Amino acid sequence: MKKILTIASGLLLLTLAFAWWMSSRGPKPVELIPTLTGQPEYCITCHADVPDISPSHPTVTFGCVTCHGGERLALNADLAHSTMRGGANPSDLSVVEASCGGSNCHSGSEADDRNHIQRVMTSVQSTYAGAIANIRYTFGAQTDLNAHFGISAVTDDQTQTGITSLAPFDPASETNPSIQKFGEECLTCHLRAEPREGDAYARQTGCAACHSPAPPLSSGEGWGEGKIHTLTTAISYAQCNTCHNRGNYDLRSMTFVERDDHPTQRIDDYYQPIAQFTQCEYTLDCVDCHTRDEAMGDGDIHANQKSIEYVQCKTCHGTPTELPLTKTLTDPNDIAFRLAFLNPVVDLQLGDTIIVTEKGEPLWNTKVLRDGTYEMIGKATNQYFTFKPVMGSHCTQSGEDQSSSYCHECHAVERQP
Amino acid sequence: MTDLSRRDLLKLARDGFLYLSSALAIGGLLRFLDYDPNPKPKTEFDLGAASDFPLNSRTLLSDVPAVLLHTESGFSALSLTCTHLGCTVEEKTDGFTCPCHGSRFDKDGSVMHGPAVQHLASLRIEITNDDRLILHID
Repeated sequence: MKKILTIASGLLLLTLAFAWWMSSRGPKPVELIPTLTGQPEYCITCHADVPDISPSHPTVTFGCVTCHGGERLALNADLAHSTMRGGANPSDLSVVEASCGGSNCHSGSEADDRNHIQRVMTSVQSTYAGAIANIRYTFGAQTDLNAHFGISAVTDDQTQTGITSLAPFDPASETNPSIQKFGEECLTCHLRAEPREGDAYARQTGCAACHSPAPPLSSGEGWGEGKIHTLTTAISYAQCNTCHNRGNYDLRSMTFVERDDHPTQRIDDYYQPIAQFTQCEYTLDCVDCHTRDEAMGDGDIHANQKSIEYVQCKTCHGTPTELPLTKTLTDPNDIAFRLAFLNPVVDLQLGDTIIVTEKGEPLWNTKVLRDGTYEMIGKATNQYFTFKPVMGSHCTQSGEDQSSSYCHECHAVERQP
Repeated sequence: MTDLSRRDLLKLARDGFLYLSSALAIGGLLRFLDYDPNPKPKTEFDLGAASDFPLNSRTLLSDVPAVLLHTESGFSALSLTCTHLGCTVEEKTDGFTCPCHGSRFDKDGSVMHGPAVQHLASLRIEITNDDRLILHID
């Protein structure tokens, strides 16, 4: 009996020693108490190598859980990740309000122009309303080209466009097989959609689709998985190209036809065979000219892309009879300073004169120089471009016909066949 | 030297195992009870002797973060935590600027422009009987 007791006590000791050893082998918990929440979290025990996502969102201030969710005190990976929002992408539109919203963050007041989430939710990049309306009209499911459906239901009780709501588009409830197929094959380019397979399409959903650029592949043959922990407003045209310029939809087969060429120069990256481009259009990045409202929406529901996209050549160059609209910055709270602060490619100062759009949006990366010429700084490239107004040039184009298509008649660059 | 019988050896081993097991169990229990996975953020900072901060001095306390002032009217401290979202503001020639979202405050911590809407917080300084400075941030 005593022998058995001795063996049992020995086994007990071994068991306890093993348990102690096992508990000592695990990662030593690394605590972070973000100043924003004051609540400890242990994510950096395993994720210490993840860099700050942006200078505006330092981890020491925000921590991880504010944006990503998750179990902040858990040390077991499965448990810690079990309640994360949007998987690795908390900006997915299904969870973005919980992740990025709040009156101090990105669903702030409209007056302050900080209601980014509401703007994106109602933007055509999110609703895809124009494409849906067009297809339904083409195949007889609706009698007009008005927007009635979006990818998800959205409402706007302060509409400036006359569109107060969109119902969710449900391809399965459509009777026309072409519309059904459109629903199956052609809904991969809006902000809620997972991208098509392939390096060229690599992007995330939601805000990250644009603001978290995918890294280039080491092979140099495309772009990475788009899982990089970065938020930026310095968005290269290559990020826009993860949706745009990748091919065309064939309306007969209602399938996406991927481009089969291999562009060797930048101008050919823009894949609309019938389109013409001036040099600035393929030298600059899309975001150098196209504004926040155009890309992210202005808070109203728009029927299609044409309804929200309004920047033209004349926005920067003016017309033969008018200089571009400009504004001298006199208010330190001007939104131009905030935008320049987020992407400091230009040192804006009070007293600087910048170009503004016809809606008053600042092209904060421009300056009117003392000699009457203009300067634009590339938001993603940091390159400086100087240009002159049309006024005073040899251009004889009628002031009435000043949309970009007219400018292209003379100024488009020929592409190689 | 006394010969150890087999019985005594077994007893000695058994007792040794049990004592060691008890020690490990108690140690483990103490380690478990001692560990607080959800601690409160630190709210008090012992800054050291008051004499270390001479009159008219201005001392940056980067671990708080705050700036400690010693003027004719005594000690005071200004939090350097931005009232917008909690980033640490940076000292500039005309006051403080938040590197995260661009809020600006004057030298007294008053908001010059947002997005912050509240001034930088004044922090309480306590002088103990042995003339040490305790900074409270709660």
